[in-house]
Amino acid sequence: MKKIEAIIQPFKLEEVKESLKAIGIDGMTITEVRGHGRQKGHKEVYRGQEYTVDLLPKVKLEMVVADDRYEEVVQKLAFSARTGKIGDGKIFVYEVAEAIRIRNNDRGETAL
Amino acid sequence: MAKPPSSLLAERSAEVDQAVLAGRELPETGCAILAVGGYGRRQLFPYSDVDLLLLFESDKFALASKASISDFLRRLWDAGLRVSQSVRTPAECLEVHHGNPELNVSLLDQRFLGGDRALYDGLAARLPRFLHASREPLVRNLAQLARERHTKYAGTFYHLEPDVKETPGGLRDYQLLAWLHQLREGGALEPSPELEEAFEFLSGVRRFLHTAARRDANVLTFEAQDGLAEEAHDGDAGHWMRGYYRHARAVFRAATRQLETTEAKSSSLFAQFRDRRSRLSNADFSVVRDRVHFREAHQIEHRPELVTGLFEFVARHGVRPSLDAEQQIATRLPAIQKVGAPWTALARIFSLPHAPLAVRWMHETGALSAIFPETAHIECLVVRDFYHRYTVDEHTVIAIENLWNAPEPYRTLLSEVERAVLLFSILFHDSGKGSGESHVEVGIRLAREAMARVGMPAADRETVEFLILRHMELSVAMQSRDLYDPQTGRDLAAVVATVERLKRLTLLTYADVSAVNPNVMTPWRADQLWQVYLIVHAELTRELESERVAAAPHPFLEGLPTRYLRTHTQPEIERHIAMAAAGGIAVEVVRREAAWQLTLVAPDRPGLFAAAAASLSSFGMNILRAEAFANRHGQVLDSFTFEDPHRTLDLNPSEVDRLQSVVERALAGKADPRELIRNRPKPPLPSRKASIAARVSFDNEASQTATLVEIVAEDRPGLLYEVASAISESGANIEVVLIDTQAHKAIDVFYITAEGVKLSTERQAGLAETIRAAIAG
Repeated sequence: MKKIEAIIQPFKLEEVKESLKAIGIDGMTITEVRGHGRQKGHKEVYRGQEYTVDLLPKVKLEMVVADDRYEEVVQKLAFSARTGKIGDGKIFVYEVAEAIRIRNNDRGETAL
Repeated sequence: MAKPPSSLLAERSAEVDQAVLAGRELPETGCAILAVGGYGRRQLFPYSDVDLLLLFESDKFALASKASISDFLRRLWDAGLRVSQSVRTPAECLEVHHGNPELNVSLLDQRFLGGDRALYDGLAARLPRFLHASREPLVRNLAQLARERHTKYAGTFYHLEPDVKETPGGLRDYQLLAWLHQLREGGALEPSPELEEAFEFLSGVRRFLHTAARRDANVLTFEAQDGLAEEAHDGDAGHWMRGYYRHARAVFRAATRQLETTEAKSSSLFAQFRDRRSRLSNADFSVVRDRVHFREAHQIEHRPELVTGLFEFVARHGVRPSLDAEQQIATRLPAIQKVGAPWTALARIFSLPHAPLAVRWMHETGALSAIFPETAHIECLVVRDFYHRYTVDEHTVIAIENLWNAPEPYRTLLSEVERAVLLFSILFHDSGKGSGESHVEVGIRLAREAMARVGMPAADRETVEFLILRHMELSVAMQSRDLYDPQTGRDLAAVVATVERLKRLTLLTYADVSAVNPNVMTPWRADQLWQVYLIVHAELTRELESERVAAAPHPFLEGLPTRYLRTHTQPEIERHIAMAAAGGIAVEVVRREAAWQLTLVAPDRPGLFAAAAASLSSFGMNILRAEAFANRHGQVLDSFTFEDPHRTLDLNPSEVDRLQSVVERALAGKADPRELIRNRPKPPLPSRKASIAARVSFDNEASQTATLVEIVAEDRPGLLYEVASAISESGANIEVVLIDTQAHKAIDVFYITAEGVKLSTERQAGLAETIRAAIAG
């Protein structure tokens, strides 16, 4: 099993969710986060005051998928989250040691 | 006839009594078993905990009996009872447990089940005296628990999927009433028929939920609502839920009233505050015990304005209507609906600091839907979806409350708009829900009817229609548009068209989104919305000066900002073209509903705008809004919306002509503005208590060709003239002006150039000083 963690642009969330749903992935955890990478903050001027936006709003998606699915999921995810501009985000993939469904103690991929 | 739920609960309690006594193998002396909590009061629900209190004469004896206690409890578990037990000595039962107020509360419902009768009698004899002596801290603890619980549910019973036990107006609140009554009066609550009916109803619902889920489930889910509606042969769950809300409302109101009187009695500080508030009383209303009453309720018949007057009092002072006043209003709803209320009266209520409280009570008493019958069908309306937590009417009231309590920067933004029109827009933004058609279109239709009836000025009506039509625009953009793509700003600016509308739409969006459920307006989302505001604001600021009308059907329009075309109607534009035709100075003063308007077309020259402002001030007029634009042919078009506080123009029609000719002479340079203004009594300077600190800011980035000066200051007569002439006298040229005034706050935006280019930093600094001096007078 692999855990896929993706940081994406907030406005891409619906599109990404839809495209993952289309390949049968509908369980995921979504968090509103802030951060910055090489896409540094920018400046906004209001009332003569400069608002520097250091940390940009992003959305983090987390999901765990079976080993034989993760390539496909990552590809779909990257494709649907892409605008081609700086700030599109990143995807990280981790190995998962175990998955347990709390309700009935299912283990491994059946618990996903 | 089916048995009432309460008798089913009592039967269940009796069955459990048998089971408990059958399993009892405890010492016969030195130990007694008490039923407490819901079980103690014989209101045991099928899957509720069976609360037992094992009373031991001493800790030592309890410790020694440990083995027999666990045997006893195990037998009860095996018999299928969910036991929740505590082991106490009489001394422990007779002290206040601040860390565990539930223990004290549970004893209010205690009864003897078995064991050492003498031991129990000893406790029972001392308990009333303990409760009486300790009632202050007990009541305080109880009230605090209740307040915390209410806060957890946002203080409202209008949840789409309420918890029948914990949500305000649920069974816990009914119990709270009984407990407070017991502590205060020392006896059992004798509920009114309304409360008794509500209790039976809620008990029936909770029994249903337990039986259906086969566990202690208390959330009235959509699924359960369907089941209950079917069982009650009330096919429509939405209709059935209205019944639920009616009962919950009865319980919640009785509980909050009891809480308040109890707290008031407990706190001398509060009593002092309350007494101080009684000084707010006037000829029509009296404040007694922190509640406003009609002095002479029978007068309402021939003075219907007393009803709106009462809510204005509420909105002004933040004092709620008394029970009596509520009833007076409730019995006169048909008459209130027949008479209606004029917009002037409603706008006064909606603009005052405690407007949300007034709206809440207008809603609670039914006066709101009597005045606006268009909103009656959203009352208790359940619209099922994943993220809405409240009924549509409650969503609306919460939206208003949230906006009035919004943090910065929304708080400042709110101080820059006309609140009454905004509040009205919020009241109607979802009024079209539940109709089956597009809720936006229906909402606009309903708002139109209401606005026509109450007589809202045409300009405000346009704003309301725009806000309802576009109320989802910004939240959709937040979710689905790339905020860092310049096209997003351009598209939204084209929809919103002016900064004034953008401010209102941003505030409406804040209110609407934050009232969906208590968790949705996270700092993250509040930031996102503010980003949308900033990018659209930046775009509107840029294009105002930069985007000029190019190919126009008439030469007069060439070079005017595109804003001009967006904010003026075709007849207005034709009128301006006619005024410009002669090529000289043309001035027109007309009455526009609540305010007056001065429009002028003239060849541009330095100091022109200041001269017009000075002429108005010299007549004692208050300038509310102004704009000044220039076209490509060196003609300027200035318009001023102003109010006439002394009704000079209304009462002396000849003064209209005189004002017009003074403006013409000032524009032609035949009258010195300084002289004009000198004849006026010196306006009062901003008081030291003024809450608005003057701010002057420059921006050289916003526009491609001009420097933007934004001034936020406390408004006063003559301010605009002082500021405009300070700019002109510094040698700068005023290209575009936008002036807005809201509740003593003037927001002036000037686009200026010097020798045809933007101002240098040094020149900005010098001008800032001059403007500050002008503001300070």
